[in-house]
Amino acid sequence: MYLLAPAALRIAPDDFSARVRSRFASELRRAGRFAQLCLLGAQACLDAAGGDGPLGVLWATGGGALDATRAALDESLKLGEPAMPFTFIATQPHLAGALLAQRSHPVTRAACLSLAPDAWPSLPHLAQRWLADCERVLVGWVEESASGGAAHRSDWCLLQKKMMPGAVRCEQVRSPENAAAATAEDWIPRVAAWHGSTNAPLVLRGSGDAWRFTLNG
Amino acid sequence: MTGAFVRACALASALGPDLEAAVERLAGAPAVPARNTKTGGAWPYFAIPVAEGDWRRRAEAIARSVAEDLRRKAALAPAQWAALPCIVGSSSFSVGAWDEGGWAALEPSFDFSLRLAKAFGVSGPVTAVSTTCTSGFAALDIALGLIAQGEAREVLVLGVELRNRLTVAGFAGLQLLSATAARPCDRGRDGLVLGEALGAVLVSAVPAPWRIASLAAGMDAASVTGPSPDGTATAKTMRAAMAGARWESAAVDLIKLQSGGGPLADLAEANAVRELFSPVPRSVSLKGALGHTLGASGPAELALLLASLARGRVPATWGFSKPDDALGFAPSGGNAQGVRRVLFNLSGFGGSVMSLALENAG
Repeated sequence: MYLLAPAALRIAPDDFSARVRSRFASELRRAGRFAQLCLLGAQACLDAAGGDGPLGVLWATGGGALDATRAALDESLKLGEPAMPFTFIATQPHLAGALLAQRSHPVTRAACLSLAPDAWPSLPHLAQRWLADCERVLVGWVEESASGGAAHRSDWCLLQKKMMPGAVRCEQVRSPENAAAATAEDWIPRVAAWHGSTNAPLVLRGSGDAWRFTLNG
Repeated sequence: MTGAFVRACALASALGPDLEAAVERLAGAPAVPARNTKTGGAWPYFAIPVAEGDWRRRAEAIARSVAEDLRRKAALAPAQWAALPCIVGSSSFSVGAWDEGGWAALEPSFDFSLRLAKAFGVSGPVTAVSTTCTSGFAALDIALGLIAQGEAREVLVLGVELRNRLTVAGFAGLQLLSATAARPCDRGRDGLVLGEALGAVLVSAVPAPWRIASLAAGMDAASVTGPSPDGTATAKTMRAAMAGARWESAAVDLIKLQSGGGPLADLAEANAVRELFSPVPRSVSLKGALGHTLGASGPAELALLLASLARGRVPATWGFSKPDDALGFAPSGGNAQGVRRVLFNLSGFGGSVMSLALENAG
């Protein structure tokens, strides 16, 4: 399995709307903030990776669609009235897969997970299994800022079966030596920071096992 | 083809606090769901008949009850049970706690999943997954991966959806609810009735009567709130499930429909079924009896269907009485003799479609 275009997107809350408008021409108001944050990062990764073919989208989050959930609970339920339809839909963190498909990406399946911090190897494991049915799997970690000062995060990489120039080979390591501990939140940023900085392999471990990332060629 | 089997199932639902009560109830006369003001408004709602009380304590009590039943049926050694990985699928997790406790009561979906795993008495790795109404099968998909990759021999899969005002308010806002009753596949169907359930499935590498022949996933991006009217994505996913199981369409004995009584969604699924099958095999919907239990519906309906088949019955589709010519077929219950291969459909908001192929290995 090969990894392409690891990228860690950080967006200050005040800049969020401008970033969405800049990338997608207008704010995707009905999508909700979490889905838009997913789309921004996923699209940036796809832009950098190129290629085509059936695509799985698999991402994890700790807080999920915080903004939409707050809006739906605050604006509708306190009044005892039906929720605004698209505010309610935006509370579902899984929405981004369909929105990506509507932007002409051939998405064949999508899922949003929540994991223990050290369980990040579940993501490449599951992606590897999905690669039996699709050629590429976008893997991400997306987190809305819970407080005004912190940045929104949308970290993504593309995993695929086909080797390409510049791709990183990813292999599961059962007995890792010299592996650095990583978390669900930081493994993609660490791969992104390592990518291109050295020829030495990067070995990251989580619960149970580890993954070795090696520059191809 | 997978090497995974259904070792045991358990369920708490509107039909009863345990699976046996539910199967018994399902064999009787259809019930009309009460209007439940706990969930807001006056919409009918299929509630689990468990004493009211603090949301979180009630959730844990339901989980402990289902766990006890599943543990008895699974007959695993205590150490095996305790080490089980637990995959939890839901579209709402613990948002219902907000109804009583406000913002302070909200917790991340992973924390609620840990709470459920603890109530089940398991301490293996926990994963939470949300793909709206297919969440329970997304959890099953992760479990199948763990078994296929040799990471686990048994995995606990939970589908959970418990009463909350947000979901009812959301579906009401989308104008998808019936004011009276769910009538899957019926000419007079006018919307969904929501319900709550906790379905538990213990998936195992050890052979058992029902083998999971394959589980296929698809994406229907026509709209984020409903399927493509022509059923194209559903048909493609069902076809993939059959291909994964190495079945021809003629091999399918029974289709468990997604159908919940939505006028257009039922029609879209019927279009997919008619595209693949001629003649259409027997079919059943369980949402007239359980309600649409959203992220719980995969494990919940799987548990109920397999328990009914074990008693030799294909359940009747509650709420169905008048065939709809536009669908082109009608569900039918009755004797389950000869039902060996079941295709099991789910679909949800956000374009998620899943189809499970189940085979009775005898």
